[in-house]
Amino acid sequence: MKALYLSLTLLHLCYAEHYTFLVQPYSKEIELEAKIIYEIASASLKEDITLFIPNISSMEEKVYTNYFTLTQECEKANFIFINKTEEMPPCPSTKKRLFFTNNYRKLLSNKHFFGALFWNKSRPNIVFSQKRLEEKAMTLPQNFHQFIENF
Amino acid sequence: MFRTILMLGLMSRLLFADTIDTLLEEYQSTAENSLQTINEKIGHVVIYSQKEIRLMQYRTLNDILKELPLFNINTNQFGLTNYSLTGSKTTTSGFFRFFINDHEISSGYDQSTSLSWSDLPLDFVDHVEIYYGESSFSFGNETGIYFVRIYTKSALKEDGSEIATWFSSKTGHSQSITNSQIFENGWSYLLFANQEKIKKKTLYNQQKLTSNGTKHYLFADISNETSKINLGYTDITKGNYTGLALDATPNDGENISKDFFLNYTHFLLEDKSLKANFSFDVNERSYEEINDQGINITPLITLSMPWSIPKNFEEDLRFTKSNAYVSKSFESDKNALILALNVKHKTYDVLKRKSTNFLNQTNEIDHYNSFKRETISSVLLQESYQLKEDLLVVANAKIDYYDRNAYLKDTDEKLLRIGAIYTPTPHFGFKAFYTQTALPPSFYNVDYTKKNAVNLKSQRYNFYTLEAVYTEGNSKFGLTFDHVEIDDFLYQTPIGFVNIDHTIKTDGLIFDYEYSFSKRDKLHLNYYTSTLSEQINNSTKGGFIKLMGGYQKFDYFTSLIYRNGYDYLGLDIPDSFDVSLGATYHVTKDLSYSLKASNILNKSTQSLYFTNFGSNAFALDDNDRSITFSFKWVF
Repeated sequence: MKALYLSLTLLHLCYAEHYTFLVQPYSKEIELEAKIIYEIASASLKEDITLFIPNISSMEEKVYTNYFTLTQECEKANFIFINKTEEMPPCPSTKKRLFFTNNYRKLLSNKHFFGALFWNKSRPNIVFSQKRLEEKAMTLPQNFHQFIENF
Repeated sequence: MFRTILMLGLMSRLLFADTIDTLLEEYQSTAENSLQTINEKIGHVVIYSQKEIRLMQYRTLNDILKELPLFNINTNQFGLTNYSLTGSKTTTSGFFRFFINDHEISSGYDQSTSLSWSDLPLDFVDHVEIYYGESSFSFGNETGIYFVRIYTKSALKEDGSEIATWFSSKTGHSQSITNSQIFENGWSYLLFANQEKIKKKTLYNQQKLTSNGTKHYLFADISNETSKINLGYTDITKGNYTGLALDATPNDGENISKDFFLNYTHFLLEDKSLKANFSFDVNERSYEEINDQGINITPLITLSMPWSIPKNFEEDLRFTKSNAYVSKSFESDKNALILALNVKHKTYDVLKRKSTNFLNQTNEIDHYNSFKRETISSVLLQESYQLKEDLLVVANAKIDYYDRNAYLKDTDEKLLRIGAIYTPTPHFGFKAFYTQTALPPSFYNVDYTKKNAVNLKSQRYNFYTLEAVYTEGNSKFGLTFDHVEIDDFLYQTPIGFVNIDHTIKTDGLIFDYEYSFSKRDKLHLNYYTSTLSEQINNSTKGGFIKLMGGYQKFDYFTSLIYRNGYDYLGLDIPDSFDVSLGATYHVTKDLSYSLKASNILNKSTQSLYFTNFGSNAFALDDNDRSITFSFKWVF
């Protein structure tokens, strides 16, 4: 059902170029970020996803809740997306609890993160660490292999 | 039924074959549409997105502004680009407020951006929003009736370096470098540096008028989630063009300007609803002119004593602006309230001013008058309320108190604005505003006031605007009407500024149509017409046709910008048809080469110039026909 919903949304996006007035706060970028994170989380975990975003904004909460079960507590989450300047939450990274970031430098330096969605040269990028995927005994679907880097 | 489900299933499989790639492309394309900063509550907005800036090969801010409806862009007597309201031509204009991110960049002297920032390169710019409306209600800045918000690229999306350069067959060349980086602790920086050689040469009366020179721009943005520090610097050294010479052909002269600003914004509280902003600007400018036939420095000339006319003039001036702003927003489901305080202090110092008249007497001159300090204190409020699901009402009020050190009286101005945005269906939308604002005289207006005239007063603007938008499929239609009434308009006569003693009225109508063939290909048509209750000395009708798009590794565009002709003091100014076309070849995702031909028909707009205190007028082309080659490398 979610696949159908996503397909129809994508079809709609292809034609929804025009608007009259953007009276409500603009959320399309966060919506696309949420969809990408959903794709990544679904490909990484074979179970229902409970997402924790530290210091989540009200707009993010509104959008992400359409795709995930959200939690305010790190311990209850199995996917943690750190997209702000935050100290690492006080719950360990395990095989069943994955940490993802939006900062490539954080990914390189902090072994808790297994991947990142970040911007570079005005383009969005996804990178997964091969070593950390192996450590967690994770296998990603074929169409994600292009994002795996050898570190 | 079964067939439909099968089709949907197939479509879903097809889409899912590359869902993640499609989503990434969509994410990029959405970001390039640059809609994240739009604020419909503060006026009627036109957006120049990152995508459009790239496809249309807009190199400088003026490439964008010259298309704008109800707006004229001319070359002034100093060879600088200047903006005027429809039907009129001004030498320096204070109607328009320009912002780089949160910082207002108009000159502290004459409220204009012409000298320092007018031809800003767009290499470090993400997108530009142009609002027909009063910015000061929301940002606390000085008043104006149009405003241009320039958003710089974000280090969070760049995190790399870029080299860009262009060479023009006529107008000079430019080199830019941008570097940005994100750190693990959440701080990021973006640095930009540019050098531009300006070439502008025209013949008048068999004499060469030149505005050749050099410009430099430096910009830095240092930010984290709650703080933003912007630093900007620009300098320009150039020829005087017609300058202030009574015969419009100065013997010699030079115009130098240096501008620096620091702007710091900090968001407080968990929901960032408390915003504090501090800024400081300093501008130094020097002007030198030598002309055997005399120089029109209004405050130094007594018309009954022709020998008082200067033939040699030089001045060094310094202006500073310090600004503090604090705002608190309160938001609920239906209600959004912003309360703010703003204090601005402006100073004007004469470092050197010297003039030699026809009797060869050289005089050192200090201030022309005693007006050299001004503090503006403002209280402002914006309330927007969702009356119904499809109806939003907006109300603004602002009180400005002007405390001047001398000459002009201290005054206060009460400004207000009410409006509504009505969207009865997803395809139909209406927006209407009534605005009452006042533009006070600047240091420049007071320096160049007509001798023996009574003290200058603020110009009072009352304007009504109505916009209707209809979207259907890939089309978007827009219709905008405005009616403006101006009391005490500040008009520059050949012998100085005066307040016009009657109400000036102007009406404008803009028709706009966009058709998107695809996400990359777009046709855009625009036509406007206007009336003005005064004698016109600039275009009153205009429009454009733009076609932009791409195929595989190529981007291309073509455009026609039209402005109507007019008669003024026996001069017949013809219609202008500025046709441009260009193409970009993307060698890789990171390297591209572009070629652009501008003003192909050589039918540029023309600007009026005057000699001998306005007794004669003549017109010169604003732009030459030219070809520009550029390249961009991201690494």
